[in-house]
Amino acid sequence: MNTIIVYRKEAWYDFVSVWRTPGFVIPSLAFPTVFYLFFGVFLNTGAASTYMLVTYTCFGMMGPAMFNFAMNIASDRAHGWLTLKRLSPMPLGAYLLAKLNTALVFTLVIVVALFSIAALLADVRLVTEQWLLLALVFLLGTLPFALIGLILGLTLSDKAAPGVVNLLYLPMAFLSGLWLPITMLPQALQHAAWLWPSYHVSQIGLKVIGMDQGHALWLHLLILMATSSVLGILAIISFRRLT
Amino acid sequence: MLALQVNGLTKCYGTNTVLAGVDMTLTAGEVLCILGPNGAGKTTFISTILGLVKADSGDIHLLGERQQGITRSNALRQQLGVMMQIGSLSANLTVFEQCDLFSSYYNKGYSAAELVKLAGLEDHSNQRFGRLSGGQKQRLLFALALTAKPKLVFLDEPTLGMDVEARRDLWQLVRQLKQQGVAVVLTTHYLEEAEQLADRIAVLHKGVVVASGSPAELKALTQYKVIRCCSALSDTTLLGLPGVLQLSRDKHLITLHSSYAECTVKALLLADDSVRQLEVRPVALEQAFLQLTQSNNTNEEQAA
Repeated sequence: MNTIIVYRKEAWYDFVSVWRTPGFVIPSLAFPTVFYLFFGVFLNTGAASTYMLVTYTCFGMMGPAMFNFAMNIASDRAHGWLTLKRLSPMPLGAYLLAKLNTALVFTLVIVVALFSIAALLADVRLVTEQWLLLALVFLLGTLPFALIGLILGLTLSDKAAPGVVNLLYLPMAFLSGLWLPITMLPQALQHAAWLWPSYHVSQIGLKVIGMDQGHALWLHLLILMATSSVLGILAIISFRRLT
Repeated sequence: MLALQVNGLTKCYGTNTVLAGVDMTLTAGEVLCILGPNGAGKTTFISTILGLVKADSGDIHLLGERQQGITRSNALRQQLGVMMQIGSLSANLTVFEQCDLFSSYYNKGYSAAELVKLAGLEDHSNQRFGRLSGGQKQRLLFALALTAKPKLVFLDEPTLGMDVEARRDLWQLVRQLKQQGVAVVLTTHYLEEAEQLADRIAVLHKGVVVASGSPAELKALTQYKVIRCCSALSDTTLLGLPGVLQLSRDKHLITLHSSYAECTVKALLLADDSVRQLEVRPVALEQAFLQLTQSNNTNEEQAA
């Protein structure tokens, strides 16, 4: 067994398998693109388009990260595929990194799609460093959502997983100010937004273009890292409880 | 070296005892069939050995290596082959892709192309798993279980949902494994399968091995034989013969169940020298099996 080849094949086949599911790929890519085209390009211009580029990219990134992990792992468990892999000499890391890789590819596709729309159709003008920094924020920001998806995938049945992810995904996006700007939400909800990783990722993204609420960067980073650590521990516990 | 040695394996889920002290051994080149009705504990037994489920107590040795808890070493997994009862691969990957992926996990295993051939799916190499027939899926899963060129193979209900032909093909493959010196643990509730393949059968019932031995020994374990004949004797006379437990008639053909066939036949021939079509047979394994699990039930009921 060549470890590098295993990691590579696992990653490639996980991606191929997801990519061949139009029912997953089309909504994952269409939702953020259509939303941004509608709200960010046709209904708004200028600063609003720039602001929404960040919030809708964040919204678009969260979905595939959570869905890919939750649904595919729940389904691998239900169908015994994960059991067969666990009984094989496959390193567990290869399986998890493959899923993370797939989520990152989706993030990248969404970033490229929305950034292109912004630059070409909405006339959003940023300097190169800002484009690159934004892309990096979203790629790194994929991790906490991947972990949420992982925990759900390890604990829920394959029937329940999609519903529960939706139940989490849509309210979390709304309450983090990804659909309506956070400042338009009532004060109480603005405070509650600190609970959601999506709020912090979007605020860091907005900081890149100077449109955030003005909280310290390190605070957002610290909260994201703490959240990810807790989620990581929960994921390990869920894994140990698998039978 | 024993390929598998299990002593006093127990497992409870809450108050439900699934394995109540199971002992089992298996040597290289031997096929062990674990036979039992649904819920007998067959799958739990395999899951516990493989470390998917933690045993409450008992010793497990696999390929001479003592197993602790649920950890199974990488070196061991390189030599095991497993086909679980609920086994389905990613529906969107093709036969070749699945084989390519699985083959990459093993040091000295079969290549992807060899696995496709082993599964007999050369013509379906580029077909996605989701579009294969039930039998083809089972064949692929069986081939994947052999990826490691394993020394010890676990097959949990491998022929479930297969048609007769596919089942016979798989039996042939199991026989080949045996010839290569592979130790095979096979669970089934098809008696014919156990009779065809097993060197040894262990009958598992309510978490206990109620009987174990070769198929022939198991049949001999049951107390009675079946005697068939045509005779002019009355039912009363026939039931009065030594050893006769029960009688049934189908037109002229009489079927007797006897606990002591030799005596019954001797007395029968003395009583009626015109007996025709005499035939003495051991009970089919199926009946032996029913008797074993039923007498176990009865014992328990009596104990309770």
